[in-house]
Amino acid sequence: MKLNRLVISIFILLSASLLSACAGGAGLATSWPGLSADEDTAYLAFNNHVYAITLDTGIEKWRFPAESNNRITLYADPAMSPDQQLIVGGYNNVLYSLNSETGQMNWEFGEAGNKYIASPLAVDQGIFAPNADNNLYALELNGNLRWKFNTQGEIWAQPITDPACECIYLTSMDHYVYAVDPTDGSLRWQSQELGGAIVGSPALSEEGVLYVGTFGKEIIALDTQDGSVIWRSPTTGWVWSGPTLAEDVLYVGDLDGNFYAIDPADGQALWNLTSDQLDGSIAGSPLVVADTIYFTSESGSLYAVDPTGSILWSQAIGGRMLAAPVLAGDLLLVAPNQADQLLVAVNLEGGSRRWAFTLGE
Amino acid sequence: MWNTLILNPMINTLLVIYSVLGQNFGLAIIVFTILVRLITYPLTSQQMKSTQKMQELQKSKKWQDMQKKFKDDREKLSQEQMKLYKEMGVNPFGSCLPTLIQFPIIIGLYQAVIRVLAVTPIQLVDLSRHIYPFINASALIPINNNFLWMDLSLPEKDFGLAIAGIGIPILAILVVITTFLQSKLMTPPSTGGEQGAQMTQAMNLYMPLFMGYLAYTFSSGLALYFVASNLVGVLQYAVMGKLDWRNLIPAKRSEKEPAEKKPAQKKRLEK
Repeated sequence: MKLNRLVISIFILLSASLLSACAGGAGLATSWPGLSADEDTAYLAFNNHVYAITLDTGIEKWRFPAESNNRITLYADPAMSPDQQLIVGGYNNVLYSLNSETGQMNWEFGEAGNKYIASPLAVDQGIFAPNADNNLYALELNGNLRWKFNTQGEIWAQPITDPACECIYLTSMDHYVYAVDPTDGSLRWQSQELGGAIVGSPALSEEGVLYVGTFGKEIIALDTQDGSVIWRSPTTGWVWSGPTLAEDVLYVGDLDGNFYAIDPADGQALWNLTSDQLDGSIAGSPLVVADTIYFTSESGSLYAVDPTGSILWSQAIGGRMLAAPVLAGDLLLVAPNQADQLLVAVNLEGGSRRWAFTLGE
Repeated sequence: MWNTLILNPMINTLLVIYSVLGQNFGLAIIVFTILVRLITYPLTSQQMKSTQKMQELQKSKKWQDMQKKFKDDREKLSQEQMKLYKEMGVNPFGSCLPTLIQFPIIIGLYQAVIRVLAVTPIQLVDLSRHIYPFINASALIPINNNFLWMDLSLPEKDFGLAIAGIGIPILAILVVITTFLQSKLMTPPSTGGEQGAQMTQAMNLYMPLFMGYLAYTFSSGLALYFVASNLVGVLQYAVMGKLDWRNLIPAKRSEKEPAEKKPAQKKRLEK
């Protein structure tokens, strides 16, 4: 019987440690970092803080909140509004507006019912913040709620704006794409069921075509007039991030570790890099700078590829890299997860390391 | 190894059940829990039988006499105990082994529920690795987390059902009650003396509160699994005719206990 009790005690301890591993408290990252940058500062949302890091030196300028608060966890890409507010949503269901110079809080919006996983769209018309409670919240730049738009699924992607039609295009995990009027939140159109959840932002062409990637292993082109499907192009794995449109080519990666260049006119593959040539899942949107395509892989590599599909170079950054690379002046910023460094700045040419930001610096 | 043998089959079974039940994840958790408990029933049954045999042995006159006779010679006592085990055909580890084998299954079950709920991007990326190619995951993802009044991905503290304006954590209360019922109804009378009885009592009290706290603070999908698992456990024991309803009535227990505790108390006095 003593042995029985010992077994029960071990089981309770095991259960407690297993369960507490899911608490998502301090020190335990429940997602990958959110990252954005302006001319002189990088903004990194990770775990309990948003960090502002000087681009020249890689040294921390400020952090929000100044004192660690386990109830606040932030992973969405911070967004800069036209009036220089840094808008960032938390896993604690609160959207914060911060002074981008000092990190002081301007206001907070706490009416959402779930996490802010995606970055808000912050434009002259206001702030459009997607939430995992299925709603897109439209706020004035002072944080007052204007309207909210409901979908049937969680919204994990930043919406995009289209000045040509004064529309907001929104993807949802409910398998639909929506066009919403930014003035009152009314629905312009809703696409057909697209066959898979969409967690990436759409890409928009000047010709009025929207491109989205889905968990249904497809890239789909939609007409912005009415949301009808123009073409579908298959992929091998789930498409996590939205595609990037540059120089009349669509670039996108999938979770099976394949990378595609697609003709936006008809969805035909121009070339692709297979999972045998690359080293892991691609979850972040590619970045195109002056004829070079940059993307990250989950195995911790940063790739540079030319427009013909030849790998120019790859750099092992380390950690688990699910966040997309971000351009900051002449630097590329990458934010690995589960690595010693939270942020790494590399040169556009060759990918040599300029600096790395670690906690405590 | 863990993923291939335990976690992946469980995750995919859960997804298939979810798909068959019209994408109702609450029902899927309940049916999946019942299924796993049914599959592990031979282990549970064997564990109960071994425990009962052991209890009977420890209550026997032969055992009690042996304890008295060799109370000052522990080595001899253990030798004699082993002889008696052999003689009576009792395996002293018979009740532990099935429990140990069940650990990975229970842990796998818990992990499967949490992983399929996938409430953050990193969890969803991880889930994508566990899904078999023949499962039409794109139609199933995201999982519909709504069940009755609950959002199974959120802790009950975030949405507790309001009755007359007061938030009542019904699920957490159900977890406390069912855990208490299960431990009370299924705990055999302690044969480990007063200390053992106290430990059992403390476990019976603190475990339900601990589980209730977990149910209140973690995803309610997990709380639903706790309730289903507790109820199925009680039902299984009832089917086996092992439920001891007297355990629920403290007065009757206390009348019985002094008689059972006597040898242990006496032993302590002698020391």
